[in-house]
Amino acid sequence: MKKYLYITLSGFLLIGACKKSELDLYPYNQVETTQAFNTQADVTLAVNGMYYGIRASSSYYNGTWNIVADVLSDNLLTNKAGRGSLLSYNQWMLNGSNTYLLFSGGYTMTRRANAILENIDKFSAGTFRDNAKGEALAIRGMTYFDMARVYAKTYQNAIATDSVLPYITTTDATIMPSKEPVKGFYDKVLNDLNTALPLINASNGTGRLNKAAVAGLLSRVNLYKGDYDAVINAANTALGASPVLPDASTFPKIWTDETESGVLFKVYNTAVDNVNTQGVNYYQVSGGEIKSEFVVEYNFMQIFKTTDIRTSAYIKTAPYLGSMYNDVIKYAGGKGKPAGVCDAKVLRTAEVLLNRAEAYYRKGDETDALADLNLLKKNRYSDYAPVTMSGQTLLTEILKERRLELAFEGDRFWDMKRQNVPVHRDPTKGDKADGSGTPYVYTNLEVGDYRFQLPYPQTELNFNNNLKQNPGY
Amino acid sequence: MRKLLLLLMCTCLCIVQSWAQNRTITGKVTDGSGAPVHGASVTIKGTNTGTNTKDDGSFSLSIGDAAKTIIITSLNFQTQEISLAGKKMFNVQLQASDATSLDDIVIVGYQAIKKKDATGSVKIVDGQELTEKPIASITQLLQGKAAGVQVMGQSGKPGANAYIRIRGTGSINASSEPLIIMDGVSISSTAFNMINPDDVDDITILKDASATSIYGSRGSNGVILITSKKGKGAPVVSYSFQYGKMNALKLKHLDVMNAMQKFQYEFDGGYYNGNGILDSMISNRISNGTYAPGTTLLTMTNDQRQQLWSLATSRGQGDWRKAMLPTGTFIKHDASISGSSDKFRYYLSLSKANNEGTVYGSYFNTVGGRLNVEYNANSWLKMGTNLGVTNSVENVIREVYNGQAAYTSALLLNAYEPLYVNGKYNITSLGQNAMETTDDNPNVANRISSFATIYGEAKLLKHLVLRSQIGMNYNTLSQEYYLEPGSYLAQTLGYNQKRDNGNRDFVYVFTNTANWVQTLGANHNISGLIGSEFTKDKFYSYSLTARGFPTASVNTLENGATPTQATTSRSDWSLISYFAKAQYNYAKKYFIDLTARTDGSSRFGKNNRFANFWSVGATWDIKKETFFKVEPVSDLKLRASYGTAGNNNGIGNYQALGTYALNVSYNGSPAASPNNLANPDLTWEKAALFDVGIDFGILNNRITGTIEYYNKKTSSLLYNVNVSQTTGFSNYTGNVGSLRNRGIEVSLSGDIIKKKDFNWNVSVIYANNDNKVLELYSDNVPTQGGLALLKIGQPLYVYKLVRWAGVNPTDGKNQYYKIDGTLTESDPSSQAVMMNGKSPLVKFNGSINTSLSYKGIDLSAQLYYSGGNYIFNALYQIGASEGEQISKNQFTDALNYWKKSGDNVQMANIKDPSQRVTYDTDKYLEKGDYLSLRDITLGYTLPADIAQKIKFKSIRVYIQGTNLWMGTKFRGIPEVGQSNGENTSYQPGQLTLYGYPQYKAFTVGANIKF
Repeated sequence: MKKYLYITLSGFLLIGACKKSELDLYPYNQVETTQAFNTQADVTLAVNGMYYGIRASSSYYNGTWNIVADVLSDNLLTNKAGRGSLLSYNQWMLNGSNTYLLFSGGYTMTRRANAILENIDKFSAGTFRDNAKGEALAIRGMTYFDMARVYAKTYQNAIATDSVLPYITTTDATIMPSKEPVKGFYDKVLNDLNTALPLINASNGTGRLNKAAVAGLLSRVNLYKGDYDAVINAANTALGASPVLPDASTFPKIWTDETESGVLFKVYNTAVDNVNTQGVNYYQVSGGEIKSEFVVEYNFMQIFKTTDIRTSAYIKTAPYLGSMYNDVIKYAGGKGKPAGVCDAKVLRTAEVLLNRAEAYYRKGDETDALADLNLLKKNRYSDYAPVTMSGQTLLTEILKERRLELAFEGDRFWDMKRQNVPVHRDPTKGDKADGSGTPYVYTNLEVGDYRFQLPYPQTELNFNNNLKQNPGY
Repeated sequence: MRKLLLLLMCTCLCIVQSWAQNRTITGKVTDGSGAPVHGASVTIKGTNTGTNTKDDGSFSLSIGDAAKTIIITSLNFQTQEISLAGKKMFNVQLQASDATSLDDIVIVGYQAIKKKDATGSVKIVDGQELTEKPIASITQLLQGKAAGVQVMGQSGKPGANAYIRIRGTGSINASSEPLIIMDGVSISSTAFNMINPDDVDDITILKDASATSIYGSRGSNGVILITSKKGKGAPVVSYSFQYGKMNALKLKHLDVMNAMQKFQYEFDGGYYNGNGILDSMISNRISNGTYAPGTTLLTMTNDQRQQLWSLATSRGQGDWRKAMLPTGTFIKHDASISGSSDKFRYYLSLSKANNEGTVYGSYFNTVGGRLNVEYNANSWLKMGTNLGVTNSVENVIREVYNGQAAYTSALLLNAYEPLYVNGKYNITSLGQNAMETTDDNPNVANRISSFATIYGEAKLLKHLVLRSQIGMNYNTLSQEYYLEPGSYLAQTLGYNQKRDNGNRDFVYVFTNTANWVQTLGANHNISGLIGSEFTKDKFYSYSLTARGFPTASVNTLENGATPTQATTSRSDWSLISYFAKAQYNYAKKYFIDLTARTDGSSRFGKNNRFANFWSVGATWDIKKETFFKVEPVSDLKLRASYGTAGNNNGIGNYQALGTYALNVSYNGSPAASPNNLANPDLTWEKAALFDVGIDFGILNNRITGTIEYYNKKTSSLLYNVNVSQTTGFSNYTGNVGSLRNRGIEVSLSGDIIKKKDFNWNVSVIYANNDNKVLELYSDNVPTQGGLALLKIGQPLYVYKLVRWAGVNPTDGKNQYYKIDGTLTESDPSSQAVMMNGKSPLVKFNGSINTSLSYKGIDLSAQLYYSGGNYIFNALYQIGASEGEQISKNQFTDALNYWKKSGDNVQMANIKDPSQRVTYDTDKYLEKGDYLSLRDITLGYTLPADIAQKIKFKSIRVYIQGTNLWMGTKFRGIPEVGQSNGENTSYQPGQLTLYGYPQYKAFTVGANIKF
């Protein structure tokens, strides 16, 4: 009898005896970093991962990017009836705890590009490799440029000692980098974009960076650098012989994602992705009414003409709890998508055209500047008639159109910084459509104010002592 | 059918008959008192031939010539061998076995030991103590039962889990929860909560190293062992019933404003609630000519205003508590049957409980059953299985700081706001109506937890017991959340949606042990245990959503026009363990025990997967010394232990690996996203525990007590190690830092009166714990959610806040201290300082218990106390703001704001727009000390003879009150677990933010045995 028992027991013990390999468990939804770049298919996944990273970042193009520059400037005014979001931005009361995601979010995107660039050369030469490399370089250059716009003086305003965040090009996780000079940083951005331009495909589609988009980005960066020949050159490449500018009937469809006309690069955000940050930045619907976080500033509103297609495409005057407000409806949502869910438009032909118009002007070529300005106006105003103007009037008009065209699109504050002009807000006009209601609390940010440069996150400064906070904070 | 059965029985009888023997012996088996022993086994030594005694203890057995000896065994009695030589009648008196009753056996560290031999810091909570409370959750029932065990409910929600801390908070990023083992299987705290308290025989809490070390890797935060019931003796059928009514506890020291108070307050503050209630009244009166055109609230006469306000008041809901916080109900039925024969022990139970909560729409219902059986195949082989299943169904109501949550609404909706407008739920000033949210967005969670322990045990040789056991715990969740078509949220979002999500979590533990117990000579008692264990956990989850449902009455996803999400995920961990334990005692006077364990975890890096843990413990029974002659002292033991234990809970399963995540996509195409930095050195968190204690009894143990001191240092804490964010990562999981918990625990119990019919016992439990961070990766780290710091030399989560200096009597503005100590009236947010020693961690807690019985009447009470902790009172910050939250209802404290120069008050001038901003200051940091009359029970047990006359074994009825009284200085309810059920940013007990309120309850109940 006991024999059986011994057999049974040995059986149990055998089952119970465990091998150390039982501890080698791997996740079901991840691949080890060391195995992430074995094949071309892996590279494709990593490239898609860059765009996914942009879509997922809550501070960049599919996040608060479409409102921050407008909130920091004079385009938007806090709606007292709203939730009080982004107040510290609107009141220029930022500190090291508010700007964390603009910093880490940016480096999360560039990290992805760096990993591709570190691994891409082991693949055989050809279109695939060139394009992947081009996309990675372009995303890195684009991202660093926008981060520099946030945290540093612009190229033209910076002097040799002015610094900006480090331009990281490695995936080494042990680095403790320090800041670097603004001008050298811009050169690195331009170098990445210029290197990308011949490598990247023209046919990647607007949902990915492509040749025209990279050229468009070059026109943008060079405008900040003040290299106007380069702006014109790049803009010509981006726009081609006859710029695609959607007319008044097509223009509103850009914002409902029904057309890609006039869009050089946008980040797809589908109904399944369902990220509604862009919309929620501006408003949510409450009790069937638009409850705006921010409304169009009264004086700015007056510049929007009824004959301007942008007025109805961007703004709706609507009641909330018995008062009328000028609500921004640009991000109400794509067609067939939930409220507030839409693609993130990063670069449009209209901006490139305006970049070129300004570059022509600043070079002294008022004729071509005026031509570009009229081309834009023709496609925006129903009562368009060609204008003839020159000198400062012409520049003012170009900049006014720029402000109108790129309103609520994440441009205004950075552009004021570039132009070196102060933010002066009207303390007498309130949040309601008729100018009554609660006005700005903080009204003036003068040229040279340290708050034009946002503070670095304290968490990084605490850890990385090589990185110093911007002056003034 | 019956024929078949008869046939079968006949066949069996024939088989038995065919072995018929040639001699018959008879006899009677009795116990020490002469009472018959029923079901005792009588077998012929060396064979399987035998019989059982009848009800009167008699037996009769045919034996062959070869039979020399019979063996008589029965549970609870010592086995006797009797020679057959020359006798035919055998009257046998059995001696009670050493283990006087089965109740006295507990399983500690893989060994079954007698309760009184449980050395080390072991606290046993009898199952009886857990059963009679109107709480469906077993976890909270542990509160106040054992010194050094702090149990804090996450909230007052029915079925809510609790935070359990044994000897303080021992981890930062890893979980500080103890290891919980049910019948030999490690289970999650969610599964723990699913155990029916009525099925629990006892709960054993292991605190010191000599007890926990054998659980090695996961024992550093203590161990809780739960043993389910087994039957014993004659069959007992029992039924118990409870019925209770419960209500949300009212906030202490706080009242919300009534409608007129709030109207006046708003008016004085220059605020005009945009909710449109007064607007439409005014415009109606203007259009019908009662008011002049252009009249506003500000321009009308005072009389008009008062009239308007009164009218609005009468249309309002008044007390929102009435609608949002209804009376809850608790009903529970339990039935069980249990018993044993000499071969078989069984326990079968069924239970059902329904609990409607104290917040609108919440409920938690359970139904479950259990079958535990053990079979003694023969004198050396035993096998058994414990099986339990519980199903719970819960409506998961919103618990957030907004208008979708009923409790938030109860406190923040203005009394003048109506519940309904035009027959529909009013969309209130909070932009929602919580009743509409609850009705139209049901979120029902359905859980099933199954517990199974299957084992075989063989006694080999004379001193060796081998045991093989497989334990399983299988938990499933299926949750359905429906934003019904037509619901307010569906309208706001622009789509209706249903989400079905859930998971299944399966853990199995395969344990093999060999246990040697022997007494050498008269006084040398040795025992040794070796064992191996393999644990594996498999987790699987899914989430499915669809939109575009035609109507609320259909709710399966097939009805949604647009499926929007279908995703599943999976994750595993495993653990390999080897352990050994050696114990020696000399004459039960000097005890020494040694334990060692090696553990390997799949969670850790290849370089550091395995770790060794060990302990040494010693006990000296002074009372047994002949020189010790202090007569009143009836028991005196001194014990000490030192050892190590580990922790790997609460971190992800794959944190050691550097990975790219593939569960992402861009525009419908798959993508890879950098996910985690590698740390191949990742390893165990380790605790070194020292413990010294004294157990004593005086006056024949009428007074008993334990005093203990412990010091626990946890090092290699599992913690995020920062990297520069310029790397695209912010940290990886590493082992850095250490912290210490130390304290004293005292338990005293005294039988003040001990007579035949009259007993009165008082017991006191006290424990303090001093928590201190000794080492950190980087000092002064702000915690998630702000408010607090990790700082060397301070307790965990020490607060960092701006110091509020009061309201300036001259200008009515808030003043704050700057870091340098000077005063400021401007934005102080950058002036926060550390609040020395003030943290959410409880420094002392315990209970005072008394029980009194006179004949059949019993009265017992428990006072629970807890304190030394600080709570950031965000409820007060929001509810007693200085105009910032004027649109919401406010506490009456807010009325006492600065009105004129010289006013010395707590609230700034609400008319001053600059004061309409609230900072996180120490104005809202309050002591969390409280004393609560947790429980008072009055019961009556029918005299046994009367019960028997009406054919019952026993009948007890009782009435009970829970949380009837509380003493505290805290404004609100100081029992804070989660800030609220949907906010995980804060530490337990750190902040109040409209979490489900605690309750008070009255319960009646009955326990009946047949």
